[in-house]
Amino acid sequence: MRKESWALRMVDLLALLIILGPIAIVMLVSFSPSDFFAFPPRGLSLRWFREFFNLPSMRGAYLLSLEVALAASILATVLGTLASLFLARRRGAVVGVLNALFLSPLVFPTIIIGVALLLFFRRVGMPILPGLILAHVLIGTPYCIRSVLTSLQAFDVSLEEAGQSLGASPVRTFFLITLPLIRPGLLCGWLFAFIVSFGELNTALFLTGPGVTTLPIEIFAYLQFQGSQLVIAAASTLQICLIIVLVLTIERLVGLSSIVR
Amino acid sequence: MEWVRCFTRNRWAWALVLPPLLFFLAFFVGPLLYLFFVSLHVESQTELYGSRLTLDNYLRVAGDPFYLLIIRRTLTAGLAVSGLSLLIGYPVALTMVRMPASRRSVFLMVLLFPLMVSNVIRAYGWIAILGRRGVVNNLLRDGGLIQAPLPLLYSVETVVVGLLTILLPYMIICLVNALLTVDRTLEEAAQALGAGPLRTFLHVTLPLSTPGIASGLLLVFLLTLSAYVTVQLLGGPQSKMLVGLVYDAVMTFIWPRAAALAFILLGISLGVTTLMLKGLRPQRVQGQG
Repeated sequence: MRKESWALRMVDLLALLIILGPIAIVMLVSFSPSDFFAFPPRGLSLRWFREFFNLPSMRGAYLLSLEVALAASILATVLGTLASLFLARRRGAVVGVLNALFLSPLVFPTIIIGVALLLFFRRVGMPILPGLILAHVLIGTPYCIRSVLTSLQAFDVSLEEAGQSLGASPVRTFFLITLPLIRPGLLCGWLFAFIVSFGELNTALFLTGPGVTTLPIEIFAYLQFQGSQLVIAAASTLQICLIIVLVLTIERLVGLSSIVR
Repeated sequence: MEWVRCFTRNRWAWALVLPPLLFFLAFFVGPLLYLFFVSLHVESQTELYGSRLTLDNYLRVAGDPFYLLIIRRTLTAGLAVSGLSLLIGYPVALTMVRMPASRRSVFLMVLLFPLMVSNVIRAYGWIAILGRRGVVNNLLRDGGLIQAPLPLLYSVETVVVGLLTILLPYMIICLVNALLTVDRTLEEAAQALGAGPLRTFLHVTLPLSTPGIASGLLLVFLLTLSAYVTVQLLGGPQSKMLVGLVYDAVMTFIWPRAAALAFILLGISLGVTTLMLKGLRPQRVQGQG
């Protein structure tokens, strides 16, 4: 029995190491003062972060990623909330079909969505930036639906009925009763849509273009054509930092662990 | 006030679902149907696709040894990644299920965090570890064990390791969710009836967790199939997979071929999903099979 639990602990350790190790190394290396990769790093410096902010392409890609993620996640939250209100309150075959449709981008190969949208946007003459945002709305909406649906299913419908029987209009009921009650789910859904868009590769690969590049694609292009320079490590660390700040803020506001289940 | 309730229950509900429904039809269902339509046409130099209908785009793949080799490689990599992630993920999930709930949610956060980091960064981490100037080669050289750096990157094996580490958290989360629903008293009953820990695991815990195993395997397999950036960065040009072929066809503007390859990828995904669900029959645990 003791030998068994020891083996179990080794596997746990191995799993954590291979999951978190690569991310930890990237963050560590970004503070390195030397020209090239050295591990363990000889001293600490912010040199590569300065370099990052001096490169217009990198800085631009970071800002564009923020813009796209912000726009796409807000739109996805609105669409996702509308869909969840419908899915939570109605029964029947239509609900089943719509539920499957709305959640399918979660398991659908995103690379195919990318190709299909690129071809479609070519056909209708969609400009690059709105096209990219629309693709990220599509990919983010299922996360919002799942999260909002969970909080909708947890609360008592009679509260809404009480509001309406006291004379509040459906819109007023929504803003006074429903919205405050599903706020945690809403925020978690928004957060997930934001983060998914911020790191998304498979559709952005096709839907970005000259002058309109997100940070993950810029990092990918750099790695492919200029080799692994340490400014990429700095870019990566900045992306990771933004995620950590966001997650901690939302965790403070509503508690994230509720949505993992 | 009866009309308010009626209105809320019906027309309001449809007004609610209309915007997301139209959005999904316009930017998901529509473009996919159009892609399928294009895959049935001949190639064209000047237009997106030629005017003549054909099945050649699909038939060509079935008759070309190069395409078949790539499809076989893609399937092997997908099976390797999902199988290995199950092997490593199951013990971790077992540990997590036996933890007190508060510690478990900390662990879940630790697993969730890497999923939020872009895959390109996580692949870059492996380049930093395995590259010519990477951690492993630096340590070996400093230790005097090698003269020239070992070529550790750019193989199918590296791709499998990279994808395994990127997708492992999905598998663990699926397994934890399934194992949490397993009734502990069933395990206790088996042990009280004289089954050892191993037998209890094989005959009680493992079968009852098949829904988690099935969803974990499927998720990891499907995500492996559509990974492009990781494959490109860790595998190099000689470990090309099906997604790489789609990408190449798009970049050379051969739309009908790109479309057909995309639908072959989709067909493989659906085929493997069906086979896996048939083989594991996760629904029998819920008493429906």
